[in-house]
Amino acid sequence: MRTRAIARPRALALAVALATTGTVLAGCASTAQTPASAGKSGHFVVAYSQSNNAEPYRAQLNIQLKYFMEKYKDVELLPIADAKQSSATQVSQVQQFIQRKVDALIVSPNEPAPLTSAVAQACKAKIPVVILDRSVNTDCYSAFIGGDNYVAGKKAGQLAVSLLPHGGNVGELQGILSDQPQIDRDKGFRDAIKANPKIHLVVHREAKWLKDDATRITGQWLAQGQKLDLVYAQNDPMALGGYLAASSAGKQKSIKFIGTDGLAIPDGGIRAVQQGQLAGTFIYPTCAKEAAATVEKLLHHQKVAKKSTLDIVAVTPANAAALYKQNDFSRYR
Amino acid sequence: MTGEVTGVAAPVQVAGWRRAVSILGSLQGYVGLVLVVAFGIVTRGDTFLSQANLTNAVGAFASRGILAVGETLVILTAGIDLSVGSMLGLASMVSAMLLVNQDLPPVVILPLCMLCGAAMGLVNGIGSTWLRIQPFVMTLATLSVFRGIDRQLSDNVSVGTQVAGPNGALTGHSNTFQLFGTPGHNLFAGTLGAGVYYPVLAFVLVCVLCQLLLSQTRFGRHVYAVGGNETAARLSGVNTDRVKIAVFVLCGLLAGFAGPIDAAYSASADPLAGTSYELDAIAAAVIGGASLAGGRGSVVGTFVGALILTLLDNVLGLNAVSDNLQLIIKGCIVVVAVVLQRPDLLRSLAHFVRRITARTGRSS
Repeated sequence: MRTRAIARPRALALAVALATTGTVLAGCASTAQTPASAGKSGHFVVAYSQSNNAEPYRAQLNIQLKYFMEKYKDVELLPIADAKQSSATQVSQVQQFIQRKVDALIVSPNEPAPLTSAVAQACKAKIPVVILDRSVNTDCYSAFIGGDNYVAGKKAGQLAVSLLPHGGNVGELQGILSDQPQIDRDKGFRDAIKANPKIHLVVHREAKWLKDDATRITGQWLAQGQKLDLVYAQNDPMALGGYLAASSAGKQKSIKFIGTDGLAIPDGGIRAVQQGQLAGTFIYPTCAKEAAATVEKLLHHQKVAKKSTLDIVAVTPANAAALYKQNDFSRYR
Repeated sequence: MTGEVTGVAAPVQVAGWRRAVSILGSLQGYVGLVLVVAFGIVTRGDTFLSQANLTNAVGAFASRGILAVGETLVILTAGIDLSVGSMLGLASMVSAMLLVNQDLPPVVILPLCMLCGAAMGLVNGIGSTWLRIQPFVMTLATLSVFRGIDRQLSDNVSVGTQVAGPNGALTGHSNTFQLFGTPGHNLFAGTLGAGVYYPVLAFVLVCVLCQLLLSQTRFGRHVYAVGGNETAARLSGVNTDRVKIAVFVLCGLLAGFAGPIDAAYSASADPLAGTSYELDAIAAAVIGGASLAGGRGSVVGTFVGALILTLLDNVLGLNAVSDNLQLIIKGCIVVVAVVLQRPDLLRSLAHFVRRITARTGRSS
């Protein structure tokens, strides 16, 4: 018993030390992928705080931002900070960048409210801040660049209307129900399909943006005997998950699938449109190119638009190949 | 019906007794499954029982079910493995990368993934024994480490497993890889009618093999002994560290085995694949009658637990129950199932009834 009593604190300390190193290691692993410097001779240091590196859309954003930042030789982009979906982590990262006195800051907020004060602190420290995609509850930033999720949903709905001229039954695979993009895309889609009263949204369920959940849920719909003519998924992985379920039931030809995101990666939406798995998808802009240009202008004290909303580009079988080529950044990884 | 056994405290023979109790306990656990199935038949008879629907339901859970079997082995030794989801994620990424970048045949990919999983399990085992880190803490650390490696390897970009050759059709190996579980692709299709859906087959096979391992071999008895009373097991000559390392290695091996299934199911290895699967795996084991204190539980029970979880999800989905309500119902079912698992349930129920009747008898 005595040896145990002595051994336990030591084991505990070791365990804590190991858990800490483990977590730190994983943290390094996900941020160290950025080349240490984007241009050693740079005069300006720019930091980017990403809400979650591990989402495919955001991984593309990171790759593209690094690429476009490298075009400006006087700018050095610090290794991208990954908040791993935690607002608290992101606040502390932004604060660290403020302490480092970076020359400009780009933030993709994880959530609006928690990031507001951190952005305000940066603003107070006279650091120009560019906000990407999700807003914050203060006007004290230099520029906001984003897409419009309502428009993304609406365009998908319009495509559904044109694909179903005689009406039909529609299913909707939704992202996490409380996520703002989900709420907006859902509203846009529902508003657009009102154009044809013969189109009925017969089933809709939360597939949490995930492919395997979408496969499972679509499988259940088909087992229920739902007569579906079209499935709208709020992102491409869910659309492709639904397609997998339909093809396992031999119904992939009779059901049309619409996605959103339009990433130019081998298992992304543009390729799927090219291969005929999806009837169409919509490129939700990463804003990377515009963010890089805006930062460059801000650093040189030029005027920038306070708020810019980027277009949603429709991917059709006709333009898919060209769009893939245009948006493919895999060679810069 | 099993009440007499639980009070026995003799350390060495206790393992055998506990095993008997655990098997009876898992039989009792069928009640939960029967209820779920009955609910499915009553509400959605034809649909629910259709072969396609059951294949879909079990197939969707197969990779998590295999994790649950490995988890059961660890839990039986009074340990826990929180890193199974990360191990599965890394193995699924490794399988997709071996396929896409190296164009290896799937029969080579599978053992490599299992090896990779076993190596990860070895790390967990060594940390939990020689470094004397509690399994909870050790595997919490490796949950993070393995996920980090997964994300670093993939650069956070998912890897699709449907690789098209120059002529636009899938390459041979990529086509074969789909047999690991891409919906609609079955083994032995043609020779066996519609064929067998590999994830379901693999899950059942893993359950059978691991149950045999536990019930028929000396190693299996040692697993129960270590979990039942570690000191007693050590004093009676069991190399407890070796048993613990072995169960962690087996758990990792099974996670590696499940990796390609998960990749094929989504036709893509996602850097986040398997996140929070450890909770499903632990839930399946516990619903199946495994005690987190160790020494009690069986793979058969875990199989039933996994079926309860996935069929419940299926039944609720078929009945179009709202997503919010599903969460509440699933949580409640876990509580009910665990209560049903309790071996002394009937005895304590009888005791309770007797006390109530005695009291009312006295007061009247």
